[in-house]
Amino acid sequence: MTAEALDQDNRAGERKWRRRSLWSLMLLVPLALAVEAYDSVKTLLGNNDLFPRRVAWGKSEHFGGSDWKLTDLRGAFGMSNLPPDSVPVLADFQVKIGNPDLQNLWLGCKITLIDKDGRRWSPTSIVSLKTTDNVQTCISAIFSGAKSGDTLNLRETFLVPKEATKSIRPAVGVASERPHFLLFQLEKD
Amino acid sequence: MIRRSANIILLLVVVAFCYGLQVSKPHYGDLIGPIPARGKLGDTVVGRAFEVHAEKVEFARNLKVDQFGQGKVLTTGGVWAVVTVEFAARAQSTVISVASWRGPTGLTYDQTERLSFMNGLLPVAIDPGLPRKARLIFELRPDEANNATLLVSEKLVAALDSQAEISLGPVPIAADGLPVGTIEMLDMAQPM
Amino acid sequence: MLENAGSRLKAWTVAGVGTAAAVAVAGVLGAFEARHESLPALAPTSRIETGEWLLRPLKAYVTAEKYAYGTLLKPGGKALVLELEMTNRTAKSTKDYFDVLQASRKIVDPATKPFIALTRDSTMSPELHPGMPERMAYIWQLPDGATAPASFDLTVIRKTYKARDNLYGLPGWFNPTPIGTMTIPVGAGPDSADIQP
Repeated sequence: MTAEALDQDNRAGERKWRRRSLWSLMLLVPLALAVEAYDSVKTLLGNNDLFPRRVAWGKSEHFGGSDWKLTDLRGAFGMSNLPPDSVPVLADFQVKIGNPDLQNLWLGCKITLIDKDGRRWSPTSIVSLKTTDNVQTCISAIFSGAKSGDTLNLRETFLVPKEATKSIRPAVGVASERPHFLLFQLEKD
Repeated sequence: MIRRSANIILLLVVVAFCYGLQVSKPHYGDLIGPIPARGKLGDTVVGRAFEVHAEKVEFARNLKVDQFGQGKVLTTGGVWAVVTVEFAARAQSTVISVASWRGPTGLTYDQTERLSFMNGLLPVAIDPGLPRKARLIFELRPDEANNATLLVSEKLVAALDSQAEISLGPVPIAADGLPVGTIEMLDMAQPM
Repeated sequence: MLENAGSRLKAWTVAGVGTAAAVAVAGVLGAFEARHESLPALAPTSRIETGEWLLRPLKAYVTAEKYAYGTLLKPGGKALVLELEMTNRTAKSTKDYFDVLQASRKIVDPATKPFIALTRDSTMSPELHPGMPERMAYIWQLPDGATAPASFDLTVIRKTYKARDNLYGLPGWFNPTPIGTMTIPVGAGPDSADIQP
């Protein structure tokens, strides 16, 4: 082969590989971004309640190793010393314990009320209503030492504006099930 | 010859450009700092997760508070500044924990820790749709009262989150060195 | 071998000159001198600057009461109280005064940390604000059975300001070093006079 022919062959080979490399960048750059972002995405999904699982009224749903059912959502009227136009709301749940390892499964338990605009209310400390002995909050239930097969009654108290009472629905999230969370429907839904 | 001098010029331009980039790079503290939401006294300043509306600023030489049923008078070597604010949460229940007073010279005064037993002070838990009033109490030098800024945020290290910066405007200073309108005793038991 | 000796010798000499120069510069900068041990004595009736704080010692006394400025003391024990005026010289409210004064080991158990209270209203360890002098009380619990000393030594410790620290690039006060010692006379009781106006 002449030197010229060899040169041309090499150049053609170079061009082919340059084209292939540039095309493979289209695959490699998103792949690199995905690998870098993997940890951040995992943390994002593990810390936020993003995907609701709707639970029809009266039904119970298996969540965090136990079966959850909403038994009541009502307002407490007639209290004094409240901010204007606000209503204390009580959400009652009945939970049948399946897996008793609550300290791990129910870690980060967060019960909230969500309205139609996506606003969320956390339990309030401004209002404290007297409860009977066997009613507790989610956090105290984690340390209650409940065994498999026990039924727990949970109640959380919220303070919501009057105009939101029509559209609020209770939601339950635990760290072991995030980003999924339970969104309970009311009888009228 | 042209080639060589062009290369040298290009090299110098690149060196100057890189140096400029290095010198103008913001430091880590600025990159992760709080994101300001600015406003004036009387405006509603909107942050990411909360809104704050500073209503009034009162100055006093002494504060009268009720501690465990007994009246107590708190004195100071400077002047007390009491800012009445109204907070509102935007989309989620949250807690406002930190407020500071930054004087015109940049000195930053944190909230007083001498009234930890009183109601209506930070931290304040706020819920969406339910605005709540609070009082921010600072102990300052009288010469830091004029043209000051109030800094309010949810957490102590408000990294990459909103911090409200409310300009409290000019405050005239009287002949005795204290702000005009400084009262002798401010009763904290009065409603906000 | 011998024909390279000349250039080898030159290479060794050049390397040796560089090393010798480095050692000489280090010696000039003080790497080989013995560390200075003695700290200057500070006058207790003066103002002492430590970078973050301006200190003015006022009085010291021993108390056997149950409470000292709101602090509950050990029953039957004695406590050494030092009252001094402190001014925050930094640009931000701070409570970084826990390491500023160290009481001498002869009087106070080194493991005992002082209680620090604002004398104005007996608040425990509040933040002190820029440019505002406040009278503070440092209260050291004395070991059981200790007698009240006539005077006691304090080491004053300062920190240095770094506009950007090594970890976050944020300003802070670091590297505590002693700057001096002072001897404070111990008065009879809480009513003894201030040693400076």
